[in-house]
Amino acid sequence: MDNIGVVLALLGAVLAALLAGAGSAVGVGRAGEAAAGVVTEDPSKFGKVLILQLLPGTQGIYGLLIAFITLSQIGILGGDSNISLAKGILYFLACMPMAIIGYWSALKQSRASIACIGLIAKRPDQLGKAIIFPAMVETYAILALLVSILAVTGIAGLPV
Amino acid sequence: MAVLQMQRISIYALRKDRKPILEWIQRRGAVEINDALEEDNVFQRMDVSTQKAQIEKNIAASKQALEILNRYAPEKKSLFAVLEGRTEIPVEQANAFGGKSDDVLRVAHRLNERSKDIADCRGLIQKLQTQMEALKPWMNLDISMRTKGTKSTTAFVGSFPAGYTAGDLEEQIALLAPKVPVYAEVISTSQEQTCTFLLCGRADAQVLEEALRTLGFARPSSPTKTPPAERMRVLQERMEEQEQIIQEAEQEITGYASQRDDLKFLVDYLTMRSEKYDVIGRLMQSRRTFVLTGYIPQQDAGKLTQELEGRFGAVVELEAPAQEDDVPVLLKNNKFSEPVEGVLESFSLPGKTEVDPTSIMAIFYYILFGMMLSDAAYGLIMVIGCGLALLKFKNMEPSMNKSLRMFFFCGISTTFWGFLFGSFFGDAVAVISRTFFEHEVVLGPLWFEPIKEPMRMLIFALLVGVIHLFAGLAMKFYQLWRLKCYKDILYDVIFWYMLVGGAIVFMLSSQTFVDIAQLSFILPAQAGTAAAVVAGIGAIGIVLTSGRESRNPAKRLLKGLYGLYNVTGYLSDILSYSRLLALGLATGVIATVINQMGSMGGGGIGGAIMFILVFIVGHTINLGINLLGAYVHTNRLQFVEFFGKFYEGGGRKFAPFGIHTKYYKIREEK
Repeated sequence: MDNIGVVLALLGAVLAALLAGAGSAVGVGRAGEAAAGVVTEDPSKFGKVLILQLLPGTQGIYGLLIAFITLSQIGILGGDSNISLAKGILYFLACMPMAIIGYWSALKQSRASIACIGLIAKRPDQLGKAIIFPAMVETYAILALLVSILAVTGIAGLPV
Repeated sequence: MAVLQMQRISIYALRKDRKPILEWIQRRGAVEINDALEEDNVFQRMDVSTQKAQIEKNIAASKQALEILNRYAPEKKSLFAVLEGRTEIPVEQANAFGGKSDDVLRVAHRLNERSKDIADCRGLIQKLQTQMEALKPWMNLDISMRTKGTKSTTAFVGSFPAGYTAGDLEEQIALLAPKVPVYAEVISTSQEQTCTFLLCGRADAQVLEEALRTLGFARPSSPTKTPPAERMRVLQERMEEQEQIIQEAEQEITGYASQRDDLKFLVDYLTMRSEKYDVIGRLMQSRRTFVLTGYIPQQDAGKLTQELEGRFGAVVELEAPAQEDDVPVLLKNNKFSEPVEGVLESFSLPGKTEVDPTSIMAIFYYILFGMMLSDAAYGLIMVIGCGLALLKFKNMEPSMNKSLRMFFFCGISTTFWGFLFGSFFGDAVAVISRTFFEHEVVLGPLWFEPIKEPMRMLIFALLVGVIHLFAGLAMKFYQLWRLKCYKDILYDVIFWYMLVGGAIVFMLSSQTFVDIAQLSFILPAQAGTAAAVVAGIGAIGIVLTSGRESRNPAKRLLKGLYGLYNVTGYLSDILSYSRLLALGLATGVIATVINQMGSMGGGGIGGAIMFILVFIVGHTINLGINLLGAYVHTNRLQFVEFFGKFYEGGGRKFAPFGIHTKYYKIREEK
């Protein structure tokens, strides 16, 4: 039980990659279904709907990013993996914004994406606006990413 | 940086010159037709719907013919076909085509006809195959399937829904009709079906039929007159005939491959004609004259007028558009900022009182894009890729040229920021030198590494944000200045500058904020106090003036307070630029992960092969995803944060009467 700190930290890192990745997988999958529907009607819209399909995919990447920074900070990728319990909990908490918001924002963003794929089906010239609606949702994933990054990189220097 | 000044143009000419004038204007592509006149006794519009419908029909036919030709004789296209643009042909050649168009149209109809023949034959073959399939179990029967019997016997040709041998069958029949002598022959048998030939005395026929019915006997649905084998031969021959026809048709179709260019031009030619007829239908015409009205950019007006008057003896009238006219918008920018016009257009073109923000936007666009992608190697790939394409394909379509130029400039910016932040395929240089040469070479940043000092990068990103937003406010300043709304400048711009700027300076003088942001400097307390006063004046000004259109003082105060509440909008706008940090880090960190995964194979040949594979696949994906991310979020920062400060858009795009072809463009005589 001495090493419970690193276990908690790893749990946080894994959850960040896992939840955000799961959210993105579901989101991109759903958007892909809608996109395929549009392409059956008009194959020339492929490029446009592909962009919209990919939008909910970024959360998974952000999750990976947090997981990776955490792994390298807690010494799993080489280095000293001796982490105190308090630090372990801190790392766990630091990963949570990305894990939770990553998951939900990917799902919600995919709904906006699907709606905008419908928009592109009817008005292909409005791609610029159609991209903005899903991108609005992503803002919150980015804010979560930011908090997680700042927290994870800041913990190492704490005297606990 | 400008929205081109438009003029209203009216062209008066003789009706006999209609065709050359219209075609000439169409090739110029500088006039947007706008029919503002009313019909009266003398001037009326012509009904062109019949001609138009005919042209549309021909366009559809020639497009279909082209499709058919491409199906049977595919065109060889290079990988970069999309970059090559439309082929240019001289105007004489285009005009000469008019006489040939009927022949080419005939070819198109012939192609469609032959394609229909092929489809018909295919359908027939399908039917023949079904018939042959049904005939197969009967192949061993050597008499007609319609045989009724002889003078003293009755024959039954048919099948049972079960597998029998001749013995089984006779046994079954003996059970049901014991007194009837039957001759049974099995033609073919399978688990589900037995095809048989049965013979009995004429007198017993009825009894036997009863018995057979109980056993589920059924006569064939389409019995042949000749013995099945012979019938099969006939069907076979017919099928071969059909295949022959198909082959011939396909040969004929591929034979037209040499006419592909003519067909392509036919599509273009008809498209031009269709556009021309659209215009003819909108002209005001009397018995001998016609009038054409529309908009023309001022810079083209002089030359066009001169030529119209000189060549065709037309009369041209130019005037400034009236205040209430819905004037179309055409932008003109230099080579550097022109590429982002497309981005602006995808938001909205400038409205009546607005200026064209393209040039200011272009500078920020490239900077923000570069910060988000921020990898020198990725930037170089973009610069080299786009640069080569631009050099090699001179004839590229303008829109494609613009996009490539945009990514070229974005690439330069990406390279710049990449070197500042020390990222070249992430940390590839360090990883490769460590893994394969056992001597680590680090490509250090020229400025600092964001991943090591995220707080510093965050503050820098927010600073860029403040500059971007203030530039947006400055645009509003300029716009209001042009409209001579000097009071509004004070209320809507200056007060906000005071409030937001003052608040920022005040924060920079507070110890708490400086500690959080890890700044190396702090402003003196006096500066802080002064800034607080400035911000306070700004805030009071906003409260007092935001509701200025309401007369009711209470309502006015509430609206003012609500206006002040917008300061939270500024806060979230500024924080929104933290995505510069997040996306920049995302590129770098994922690149690092890829390098690390690649180097897991260790040194040596095997390790190197694995490294190269992982490196190529990984970095391609990373570049693709981050390009998309950078593009989307740069757009967002422009559309929401920047445009939110001054720009609404709503302009209508200038859509001149011109040549909108797919395959060819026409070179004008000089």
